[in-house]
Amino acid sequence: MTNSIGEIRDAEFLFVIGSNTSEAHPIIAMEMKRAVKAGATMVVADPRSIWMTSISEKHLQLRPGTDVWLLNAMANVIVTEGLVDQEFIDENTEDWEKVRESVLRYTPEEAEKVTGISADDIRWTARKYATTEKAGIYYTLGITEHSHGTDNVYCLANLVLMTGHLGKPSSGMNPLRGQNNVQGANDAGATPVFLPGYQRVDDPEVHARYEKSWGVELSPVPGLNLNEMMKTVGDDIKGLFIMGEDIIISEPNVTKLEKGMNNLDFVVTQEPFHNETTRYADVIFPAAVFAEKEGTFTNSERRVQRVRKGVEPPGEARADWEIVQALANACGAGWNYTNTADVYDELARDADKFAGISHERLETEMHEGKTGIQWPCPDPEHPGTEYLHENGILRGKGLFVPVEYRPSMELEDEDYGLLLSTGRTLYHYNAATQTRREQGLHMKQSDAFVEIHPRDARKRGVSHGDMVRVSTRRGDVECRAIVSRQVRPGCIWMPLHFGEARANVLTNDAGDPITGTAEYKVCAAEIVKVADRSETKSGELFPGSYYQIEGPGYNVAEAPYGALKVAEEALRQPLSPDKPET
Amino acid sequence: MSDKSTIKLNGREYDFAPGETVLDVAARHDIYIPTLCHDPRLDAVGACRTCLVEIDGWRRLAPACATQLEPGMEIASENERIDRHRQTLLSLYMTDHPTDPAAAEPGAPNELHAMASHYEAPMDWGYMESLRDARPDDRNPYVLFEPDLCILCARCTRYCDEIEGVNAITLAGRASETTISTVDKLSLMDTSCELCGGCIDVCPTGAMGKKMPLVRGDKPERELDKVRTTCNFCGVGCQLDLNVDRDARDGQGRIVKVTSPPVGTTTNDGNLCVKGRFAYDFVHHEDRITTPLIRGEDGELHPASWDEALQAAASGLLAVKDKHGKDSLGFVSSSRCTMEENFLVQKMSRAVFGTNNVHQCAAT
Ligand code: SF4
Ligand code: SF4
Ligand code: FES
Repeated sequence: MTNSIGEIRDAEFLFVIGSNTSEAHPIIAMEMKRAVKAGATMVVADPRSIWMTSISEKHLQLRPGTDVWLLNAMANVIVTEGLVDQEFIDENTEDWEKVRESVLRYTPEEAEKVTGISADDIRWTARKYATTEKAGIYYTLGITEHSHGTDNVYCLANLVLMTGHLGKPSSGMNPLRGQNNVQGANDAGATPVFLPGYQRVDDPEVHARYEKSWGVELSPVPGLNLNEMMKTVGDDIKGLFIMGEDIIISEPNVTKLEKGMNNLDFVVTQEPFHNETTRYADVIFPAAVFAEKEGTFTNSERRVQRVRKGVEPPGEARADWEIVQALANACGAGWNYTNTADVYDELARDADKFAGISHERLETEMHEGKTGIQWPCPDPEHPGTEYLHENGILRGKGLFVPVEYRPSMELEDEDYGLLLSTGRTLYHYNAATQTRREQGLHMKQSDAFVEIHPRDARKRGVSHGDMVRVSTRRGDVECRAIVSRQVRPGCIWMPLHFGEARANVLTNDAGDPITGTAEYKVCAAEIVKVADRSETKSGELFPGSYYQIEGPGYNVAEAPYGALKVAEEALRQPLSPDKPET
Repeated sequence: MSDKSTIKLNGREYDFAPGETVLDVAARHDIYIPTLCHDPRLDAVGACRTCLVEIDGWRRLAPACATQLEPGMEIASENERIDRHRQTLLSLYMTDHPTDPAAAEPGAPNELHAMASHYEAPMDWGYMESLRDARPDDRNPYVLFEPDLCILCARCTRYCDEIEGVNAITLAGRASETTISTVDKLSLMDTSCELCGGCIDVCPTGAMGKKMPLVRGDKPERELDKVRTTCNFCGVGCQLDLNVDRDARDGQGRIVKVTSPPVGTTTNDGNLCVKGRFAYDFVHHEDRITTPLIRGEDGELHPASWDEALQAAASGLLAVKDKHGKDSLGFVSSSRCTMEENFLVQKMSRAVFGTNNVHQCAAT
């Protein structure tokens, strides 16, 4: 994030795109609700109706995968109506002309045909964004998990740069990170291209410095990213070390991956729980969980915060850092870290961005009344950085990058007539190894489900609660159908948390050419009914956010299981949480 | 100029900004004024009357939390009149509130009880049975409403409305039967409730409590150790306090519950979501892996010592490197793990095995 979470409440305009904020980042959503309550305008661009759309001024329900069209058309309006911040552009950016020209053909009228959003709404949103001072963009995986994810991000950056919404409080560009330490793991160098602090492995200066610091020879050739690794598992990749991840449930096109896993020579994992991936492991180390160890996480706003040990791990389980050190030493490394503060010091020593941060400072200091320090923080006196690019763009000039629309890799066709997107829900977390062991979360959402629009459901003879088979070119899974206007006609949506209906059996592993992030958000799919709801096991079905459920056509009194009572209740619920009916 | 933006509080002059209340200025200068219905995140309602102060020229005492400052006001937050008023008020509150400390504080700290003791308010003005309904059949596993402890300050319902924005709970019923309830007395599971637990956190008396610790009869909060840490779910990085019973699990410690740090001290501003506040039973779950495991010739996993497992893992990985080259190895680290752990995994991959094939799994 270029801004801090605390600045959101002061925003005047919030453009939320590809982020189901209230479910994926409930606390950020609270800040947004607060801003809206204080009079801010919010626009949500998302193929699905989500909770946030119930308080937004406008919901731009675009066709999945057409973000580039929407964003370029907004840029088109800003350019043709003369709403650009020319002074900011002249002083801080490069290559403006290229973008200015490239967006001209993306007229709102053409965009309407591709995205399904009216030209008026596009114009209104663009004007409002360009002319509001404290206007921020918030996005997450709905933007990046596409084969053109990088393009989407460039489009957003272009909007930010052409309107000068950067380097000021409550504006800027704010990716909300999905997992607790995505930011930190990247920062720490767990990427094939970068050593810690985004220093390239193939930069000779960096390479030489780290060889000296670590006293070993290092490879100057960037490695494979996760998407590439997973595609060649069993072929080029013959051995895997996996710390704390269930790749089988999280990676796309699982059927292929599972074949590859069987062809591996050797797999080491370290995990707190058995999962789908540990079935392939040759050695499993028992790992501690966050409450059992020391260290730091870095959040979406670049804030480094302490993780502290509250309780002892069970049995012989150990903290991951201790296990990695022991394994490295068993391979002859001779490491000697006595605690995680030592490790952090070494990380900070060779990376300017974190050079001023240490466990000791995190223990003793508060900044702006808050714990933690936000990088960049180049020296021990530096207070940390609340929002980036305050004094012009961080490194050199902001680069405009023209982007042309490329359709998603796989679109609906005769055999697979629907577009499938996947995502997360409030009540579960990733592979749900933790959350499904928690009874309240389990009660709220016990079963896998797929959301389908009433029109598409009717065509396929599917009614609410039926068991259906969802299939794509890569595989199929069975789960319950939730008939709901939350999704657009022609689109279906599935959560990815459930082991018995793994959405990633279905998803496409076609990756973004730059980041390697897979296309989780769009692929072609089809649905057939396999069992009537009356024949399925009785039990409760609690879709995460169940407003807008389509329910006519069944009788609650005859309902075989409690879900229908819930659905019935949901029908009586007002769409806007502000006006209770009873 | 000076009378434009200053007031006098207990005889000393203080600056204030337009819109600030007596309580805002007092809080900034560490002047204690007792409050029960106030929460900085919520609109002031001035309902509980514990925060009354005396303002020169005003006939009646005024609530500090809801009274906006005007230039030149002279205010007293402590004097005999205020003390008398406070004692009376607290004694009245205590007439339908448990006076026995253990009953008054089964879980979270009871601010009313503490306040009544602090101001030496008489607690023997008689006892009235509370007539409030508790929704005993609510099957939700997290929130337990104990009506005897409720003082109807409505912090919980206002939080649910103003902060969480879902209006799952509300003040219901009339007169002495007024209570906190849901539409048609439904279980929270069947309402718009998102189980954020904010209502528990804001309640000043512990009337909204955490169900499991209360049902299990765990130690009350004041006997638990609080360990401040960072939530392990999403990327917001909420700060939370693990409330640990040190003696449990033969001295290994057990997390009894999670509470949020005070408002205004962390990024999450005292808020947590359902996962941060409640999803920690996995920590002590019986399914945890507790010993190293090695897959044997029979294809099954067998418990092993740490030395055996480390040797097996090291020779397995080194053998792959020798046979197929260093870039035939892949290292997957985790955005669930700490900075330090990710640092060590990439260092192991690069410095020990010589490959840049290292990536965190953050795809989803
Ligand atoms: S339950 Fe607690 S917060 Fe809610 S009204 Fe009663 S005392 Fe106040
Ligand atoms: S848990 Fe949260 S959503 Fe549910 S009633 Fe309490 S405050 Fe409202
Ligand atoms: S705190 Fe001021 S009236 Fe309750």
